[in-house]
Amino acid sequence: MISRIRERLRFRNVRLSAKLIVTYLLLTVIPMSLLGYVSYVQYTKSIEEQIGEYMPRFLYQANANIEKHVSELEALPDLLFNSDDMIAILRRDPALQSRAEQNRDLFTLNSYMARTYLGGGNPDVLGVFLLSKSRLFESTRLRYSGFGRNEAIAPYRYDVDARDKGKLILPSETGLRFENNAPYVLVMKEILDTDNRRVLGTMFIAVQMTFIDRILRDFETNDRADLWVMNRKGEIVYHTDPEKIGTFDPNVAGYPILSGSFRTNAAGGSARLVSLSESAQLGWVLVHSIPLKDLTERADLVRNVTIFVFVGIVLVTTVLSVLFSLSITRPLKKLSRLMKNAEMGRFQVDHSLQSRDEVGSLARSFNSMITTTRELIQTNYRIEIRQKEAELYALQSQINPHFIYNTLETISMAVEEGESESVVDMVTLLGRMLRFSVGNKSKTVPLAEEIQHVRDYLTIQKFRFEERLAFDIALNVDLEGRTLYSPKFILQPIVENAIKHGLERRGRLGIHIGIGKEISARSGKQDIVFRIRDDGPGIPADRLAELEHELRSESHLAKDSGLGLGNVNARIVLLHGPEYGLQLHSIDGKGTEVIVRIPAIARPVETPRSDREEGE
Amino acid sequence: MRSGKIGIRRERLCLLLAVLASLFLVSACRDRGAISYKVIYEMDRPAADETASPSEAANSRRYKIGVVPKVTDIAYFDVVKQGAQEAAWDLDVDLLYEGPSTADPDEQIEVIRGLMEKRVDVIAVSANDPKKLVPVLREAKEQGIRVITWDADTGPEAREFFVNMADPETLGRHLLDTLAWSMGEKGEFAVMTGQLSAANLNEWIDWIKVQREQFYPGMKLVEIVPNDDDPKKAYEGAVGLLKRYPGLDGIIGTSSVGPPAAAEAVREAKRAGEVRVVGLSTPELMRSYLHEGSAQAATLWSPKKLGYLTVVLARNMMLGMLPYDDQTIANVGNIRVHGDMIIMGEPLDFTKDNVDQYDF
Repeated sequence: MISRIRERLRFRNVRLSAKLIVTYLLLTVIPMSLLGYVSYVQYTKSIEEQIGEYMPRFLYQANANIEKHVSELEALPDLLFNSDDMIAILRRDPALQSRAEQNRDLFTLNSYMARTYLGGGNPDVLGVFLLSKSRLFESTRLRYSGFGRNEAIAPYRYDVDARDKGKLILPSETGLRFENNAPYVLVMKEILDTDNRRVLGTMFIAVQMTFIDRILRDFETNDRADLWVMNRKGEIVYHTDPEKIGTFDPNVAGYPILSGSFRTNAAGGSARLVSLSESAQLGWVLVHSIPLKDLTERADLVRNVTIFVFVGIVLVTTVLSVLFSLSITRPLKKLSRLMKNAEMGRFQVDHSLQSRDEVGSLARSFNSMITTTRELIQTNYRIEIRQKEAELYALQSQINPHFIYNTLETISMAVEEGESESVVDMVTLLGRMLRFSVGNKSKTVPLAEEIQHVRDYLTIQKFRFEERLAFDIALNVDLEGRTLYSPKFILQPIVENAIKHGLERRGRLGIHIGIGKEISARSGKQDIVFRIRDDGPGIPADRLAELEHELRSESHLAKDSGLGLGNVNARIVLLHGPEYGLQLHSIDGKGTEVIVRIPAIARPVETPRSDREEGE
Repeated sequence: MRSGKIGIRRERLCLLLAVLASLFLVSACRDRGAISYKVIYEMDRPAADETASPSEAANSRRYKIGVVPKVTDIAYFDVVKQGAQEAAWDLDVDLLYEGPSTADPDEQIEVIRGLMEKRVDVIAVSANDPKKLVPVLREAKEQGIRVITWDADTGPEAREFFVNMADPETLGRHLLDTLAWSMGEKGEFAVMTGQLSAANLNEWIDWIKVQREQFYPGMKLVEIVPNDDDPKKAYEGAVGLLKRYPGLDGIIGTSSVGPPAAAEAVREAKRAGEVRVVGLSTPELMRSYLHEGSAQAATLWSPKKLGYLTVVLARNMMLGMLPYDDQTIANVGNIRVHGDMIIMGEPLDFTKDNVDQYDF
């Protein structure tokens, strides 16, 4: 089964049209699709690389701006030192104060913080908390919950390890919540009495992240790009989508780097290009994430157009290639059908294949071959028929019962008259004639044998008709000593015809046969010419013209009377061409001359001439 | 003809497959199951991270810092010691706080030699004499020990920089201002100084004179009494002054032992409020006198802060970081730099209202 499939798939066994189409497709579709694919991939890759390199640099700058802003925020608590009174309040031990004094201090410090931090230059500050050893000072813009002395901030009360340096606390680390769940970060800083070398308390400033918004606002206008700030654990401090502030980025553990760019293929989602920059100072990571699709939008458009054009071209060219291969294979199929017909013996010519290309010329050659073959076959066929006729005739004339009867009667008369010599001669002659007619199957015989044969015939007739018949055969000297060939049975029918017609009307007949070489007036070659002349009654002029016409028109076959002459003429013409054959000359009442012209050939002719058309 | 059609159909199919295959290739990279990451570009780590770690590695060696006060066992220098110790703890350095028992330059030279033998990395000295100490400090420098001064300077050739508590001009003028304010801008006053050779004290006294000439023609400086930072000697000096100048209206102490001794003498003489006492001293020493009224004001900086800053700057120097103007020093604040002089900040005034806020 597999081997059969393999056999089927083997290229040389495939149809020519299929080969042409497949070759065409290999040459066009594959290079085109490869080229398109490679250039698309390279283009998107270079876009990715460009953005991937440019974006972290930008984020680094943005991060530097954020760091700068944060360090400004971290400097805010120092404003407290501008007022000695406030420092004095913090230095006081409330345990030594009355309640009223304590409340006065609380009020003074709270309103100082409200003036300093909430009024004026810091719109981002949501609230300020100052936690001292035993007191909590606070001043906020919004209502809040979850930030009492004993609440979630407890772990941060005094343990600021990096002294004098601010620390950022994210909402997840405290219980502090503002109304409306306003997002914030806490800037925590220890308030240090540098003179007494003592910690006075810890200040917490709740800041909105709107400054990040301001830094990033003009940066990314694409709606589908996400920008966010998170800490290393993935808690999102700021996000372009406000809903996500305070949530966690679930993928943060998987990020291969925190400064740079990478491509991510989230399950189910589209591929995104993520660029990050980590702030060493804050431990924050600024992330920019954009769907790759948006980056390569233009490239994708080009790709889609290319694919459409490509498919269109492929379809058109496929149709063209199919038509083209059909235009080649259809004439070939037609031609092969013609050949098959010819093989079956139907030699038809189809002239519908007239194109000027190679297939057309092949078709024309084939057509002319078919024509030639057909003509050759017809010629051969006719020659064969004539030959058979001639042989039949010859056989008929030799075993003609009349001839044999007459001859035998003559013999018997001679026996009665005791002319035993003549009997022996006649029997010998008859035997030789019979052998000649049955012995040699070839179409030509040596000239001498043909002449011998007609001589035998005339001799037998001479025995029969005695003085009524006279004949002589004159063989020109230039023909002796050479073996020349002649078609078989060309002379006997003529002589027989002459005897038959001559002795019917007259009492006596003289036959003269002359054989010689003559130069043909037409071809200039040496021909052998037989002249059979008799002094019989001749042929009337109208009958002669009729006979001449019959000889040329080949319609004599049906006629008994002309059988002999027409057959001889036809055979000579078939064998040697139209310049050879019989000529009749006759004068009514005086006699007839039949001239037989054949070429002087030194070899026996076995097949009829094939170059007949040259003469036509 | 029929088989020909089938052949064409098969070719069409092949073509379709080829097109589909190319499309698939184009989109093949899209379809993946799990999250995958491909790094496109990696940025260099931020520079801050890199510089931090090698310097951390470099200072794995603990520096030995020798701090030399003018004299040990007086409140002021004890408080300085507290600050220096705090810094040594914070910064993880070895602190050798050694000073002479009396404010004597020769004795101080011995202490410095002792530190040199102990192969300290830095000597920070509050000089009793700006000239006498120069040779020994140069010797230390030749040994590879780096030298700075604090509180009281030496000749600039002996040290790299000087950590000053306050601008001498501001301090000198301010001292006279506090006295002028409490004695009504007229009358006689005396100055009780430490060593007559101490450079910082002399500079302040110069500025006191300048300020008096400029603004207070009604005030007269009658005498400058040295006490060598010895409380006993200072007390005797104050008593002597009160005896010698019965009409004396004020006393300025320019070294920390002066004002308490003067206040004590004024109280003993029951002339509290009559003879005004101001000057440089610690809140702790002055608290009771300020509350009783035998002293009117004390002025000082935080000696703790000075000790802390000196150690921090000494270590920064070893790490190759020289101080610069407006530098923020952790737990101290911003400092100012004038040439090779570092100024820690503004002086603090202590009165009976605020003296309880301070614990040194």
